Amino acid sequence: MIQTHNLAKTFDKFTAVADLSLTVEAGEIFAFLGPNGAGKTTTMRMLACLIAPTSGEATVAGLRVGQDDDAIRARIGILTEAPGLYEKLNAVQNLDFFARLYGLDAATRAKQIARYLDILGLGERQQEPVGNFSKGMKQKLSIARALLHEPQVVFFDEPTSALDPESAKVVRDFIAELKSEGRTIFLCTHNLDEADRLADRVGVFKQHLIQVDTPENLRRKLYGQRVLFRVRDLTDAPKRALAALPFARDIQFNGDTISIALDAPDEMTPRVVNALVDAGAALCEVRPERASLEEVYLDLVKTEPRQ
Amino acid sequence: MKPYRVFAVLRREMQEIVKSRGLLLAIFLPALFLTLLPLGGIAFLGRALDNVSSGDAQDFARLLTMMPELKTWSVGEVASYVILEQFLTMFLMMPLIISLSLASQSVISEKQTKSLEPLLATPIRTSELLLGKGLTAMLPALAATWVAFLIFLLAGRLLIDSPRVYSSLLQPKWLVAMLALAPLLSLLSVSITVVLSSRVNDARTVQQIGGFVVLPIVILGVAQTVGLLLLNVTTFVIGAIILAAADILILRLGVRLFQREKILTRWK
Repeated sequence: MIQTHNLAKTFDKFTAVADLSLTVEAGEIFAFLGPNGAGKTTTMRMLACLIAPTSGEATVAGLRVGQDDDAIRARIGILTEAPGLYEKLNAVQNLDFFARLYGLDAATRAKQIARYLDILGLGERQQEPVGNFSKGMKQKLSIARALLHEPQVVFFDEPTSALDPESAKVVRDFIAELKSEGRTIFLCTHNLDEADRLADRVGVFKQHLIQVDTPENLRRKLYGQRVLFRVRDLTDAPKRALAALPFARDIQFNGDTISIALDAPDEMTPRVVNALVDAGAALCEVRPERASLEEVYLDLVKTEPRQ
Repeated sequence: MKPYRVFAVLRREMQEIVKSRGLLLAIFLPALFLTLLPLGGIAFLGRALDNVSSGDAQDFARLLTMMPELKTWSVGEVASYVILEQFLTMFLMMPLIISLSLASQSVISEKQTKSLEPLLATPIRTSELLLGKGLTAMLPALAATWVAFLIFLLAGRLLIDSPRVYSSLLQPKWLVAMLALAPLLSLLSVSITVVLSSRVNDARTVQQIGGFVVLPIVILGVAQTVGLLLLNVTTFVIGAIILAAADILILRLGVRLFQREKILTRWK
């Protein structure tokens, strides 16, 4: 649904995006992660045909950026970082304006506006000037605005920033629902927990693409797979038994807790359990140990010098 | 170009104008002031002018040597005519001032509220957006100018005693002024605003800088008063041609500066 090949953007002498080659499949939520100034918004703006690439190629919904810009803009929805609403107008007037720009007829406009105001819980305050709305309500209205014309691809730039936890959850749930409708979501976010929960794949980006994979695979690539064993009153015998296991790598002891890197956890975990029990350990808990996406992200980004 | 997108912009802008007390005042105050001032002038000064001395009349006659048809008029009628000409010139300021207020507010407020990015992400073309915004600034300004002029003509019928003086209001040159110069002056304000909006961040600054465009109108009025220039159909047509050329040049510059990429990456 989205493809880029060596896409680049420079502003005067500053390279904002370099050699970005990327594929986002139809119906996928792709999270684009990177520090401030990494070029995430610039990338999104290029794909939304708001700014022109300096070099490289990109297609969105099968249409070429730079050649079919009007057609692309008609097929995408975008939630920009700032809501950018008309604050003197009410919610319906704001949405009606955009629905008209997308060429929706009167009946469709009315239906779509009512639908999204209802879904996003803004129906009761639809006649109030938007200037009276909270940040969360404005964000929800901006999301409704991006979806009125039922776009195939939706770009979200920091969709839950500055939202309270409850509103953030509503927005996250809504994004997940959009995926279930088969839409492709390109999500620029700082919120790693959000990316972890929502994204099928994650691209870690800092001027260029550092890594792309599923959150789970990124963890595995960086940290392998670790399993955590908690025993009561850990003695030397179990420690010696573990040291004798050739497949148990990078064994770490922390009080009564043992963390072991295993290449094939499903096969090897029972053998570790047997070794510990045979050595007289009282095993209390066994569970996979997951690095947070935040740890993965920080590891990837800190090794990349800013260009 | 899709007319429905132009209309959508125009409609939304009008909705905002209706809800903004400041913008409504920007339309009605100049119209009210520039209509009442000449009417008041006629009401309070008109009759006194019948008593102008022959010496003063000679000054007026000297100023109007280019208009021999006025020689048969009384001193009071000549004086009234000269004053009316001055006031009528002020009607040309109205489309300039109102359009400048509306256009500056329209463009700069989008810049301030960051509403241009989601707007530019829709299929709207720059030409459609600028036309919609231009019409938003021009239509109320022209409506106000024309309605004010019409009120002035109707009220003038009651306040001006001399049929000859009143008939001077109905000269073709004022038709040229209202139907050609007023739209072109209004467009000039819009064009200047578009150019300035790429560099300026608040509407007041645009209005202050753009306000200098009223100077040529003032200079025209003064030039006629001191006998340097005669405002007639020819001068107004020449003025309209010059103005049209200026509008095209400034508008082209404005459109060149008003680019999606520059707006999103350079406008601060």
